[in-house]
Parts: sequence; structure tokens; C-alpha cells
Amino acid sequence: MSRNSPGQAKPVHRVRGVDHAAFPTFDPNATVRFYRDVLKFPIVHSICAAGWGPERHPDFIHFFFDIGNGDRLAFFYYFGWSPQGDQTAPGDAWARLPHGTPEFFKNSRHIALNVGDEEDLLEYRRRLDESQWPVEMQVMHETIESIYTHDPNGYMLEITRQLRPVAPQEDLDAQLTIAALCDVTAGEAPSMDKLLTRKAELIVERAAAWEAEQPGWREAQRELI
Amino acid sequence: MPCMYVLEVPENQGVLDVAEQDAGLALDYVGPYVRITSAAPIVIDRRATGCRHAVWYSAVAGLENSVVTQHDKDALRVEAR
Repeated sequence: MSRNSPGQAKPVHRVRGVDHAAFPTFDPNATVRFYRDVLKFPIVHSICAAGWGPERHPDFIHFFFDIGNGDRLAFFYYFGWSPQGDQTAPGDAWARLPHGTPEFFKNSRHIALNVGDEEDLLEYRRRLDESQWPVEMQVMHETIESIYTHDPNGYMLEITRQLRPVAPQEDLDAQLTIAALCDVTAGEAPSMDKLLTRKAELIVERAAAWEAEQPGWREAQRELI
Repeated sequence: MPCMYVLEVPENQGVLDVAEQDAGLALDYVGPYVRITSAAPIVIDRRATGCRHAVWYSAVAGLENSVVTQHDKDALRVEAR
């Protein structure tokens, strides 16, 4: 039986954010100190599970921190399991990369949590700076400001605030960028030059029509700038 | 003829202001983008724009028959391909 009344079709896009993102840890003590004691993220759920499943699986603890908005950051601790790979190589508790792998690549995989304003960003900066995991960078990006550190497992954590709401034309721009990216990466030797050339074609094809579908956008834009 | 596009958002206004003050550049709108064209190479002085690092290096939205020949801490230069 449908719970929707006739005429109240559900939208195509139905997901509601992050239920949980999960990572392994080999140091639950430090992980709890970092997330619960330093950042003050409540522990909201845990599972104590005996090994199960068709393959060799160790006993484990799965535990969850509240990261706001009902979303959760989760960890697995596996009894008797040791870190894999060369522990002197760049990487984190999940994996080690080859020696010489640049930092930008290692840090490309990270989690970013949102705060509402500068006061809250600086409050998290204060908490981290007073801990053994101080802020490593504070960066003003295009439309966000972020602080960064690495948690005890080597995972990069970003905390960020939006400097302004996202403008509607930025959604169009993102769609054109990604269309161009898909086009150029389907061909030979993708490059920024090729992407910007393809994107200009898409701008000519689609941008004027986009504006025509946004009544009042030009006037609102004038007030913004 | 060099031709580039810049998205009209507050962060890019410094680039657009500098381009607007350059008599050699022509600006017109294509939807929410500003198209900058010129008979000579397009040169934007970075310091004049007041753009911070992240904004400066992400200001170019598109290139039409053109190529970026300089994009560093000093200037952005776009020439005909």
C-alpha cells in the first residue's frame, strides 16, 4: 500500500544526507579522545559483534559519533587485526600509499563537516589547538573557509563554513563543468585547456537559455553584487 | 581573437572590474557568464583584482579559440589559439 496520496509523488532525489561514513581504527582510545573529548561529538551508537560471515572475520566493535544533523561518523575496531602495509609510507589506518605519493593526493580523500558561522569554526579551532591534534591549516577558499587537521588514524578532517549561500548560477556552472569533464576525459589526453574549451561551447549552447528560465535572476544578481 | 568566459559571482567581481576598465577589452553577457573578448591578448593584473588565491586560480570558466599562456601570482594572459 502506498503511503502517498494521489498527486503527491515523491521527488526523484530522495536521500537525506549522510547516515554514516565508516572507517577502521587501530587506536580506539585516541579516536575517542579526539572525537568525544576534544571535539565533543557525542557517542550515539555502538555494536559489539562476534565474527561472522562467510569469510574469516574478526570480532569487532562498531561505534558512532554524532556529527550533527542526525548524521554520524563511525569506526570499526577489529580485535586481533593489525595495520596493513608499510607504516612508514604515506597513508592512514585504512591504507598506505607508495613512498613519494604527494600530500595533495593523500589528503584528497577526507571528510568535511559543516558549521554555521565563523564563531563556531573558531570554537573548533580552539578545541583542536588545545589538543594534541592542532589545526594544520586555515584556508579561505572560493566560497568557504576551512580548518584542517588529521585525526589519530591519519584521516584528514576538515571543518568548514560557507561564506555565502550558493548562487543559482553556480549550479549551472557545476553542471557545465562536469559535462565538459566527462566529455574530455572520454577522449585522449584530458587537460584543463581542453575542459575550458569544451565548457565554452556548453556555455554558448546553454547559458542564455538557463537565464531565460530564471525570472528575476538578473535583478537579484545586481543586488548581490 | 582571444575570448574567455567568467561566471558572474561576487568573488569574480574584481576580475570583471579590472576587465571593464581596460578599453581594449569588450564585455558582454552570455546568461550568467561574462564573455571577455579582445583584438590583442587579454591580460588581467592579479594584484589589481584583489582576488585571493583560490578565487584567482578558478576564475576562468571557458576559452573560445583561445589559450591561457600565463596564470600565476602576477597575471592571467589569454591569447588566440
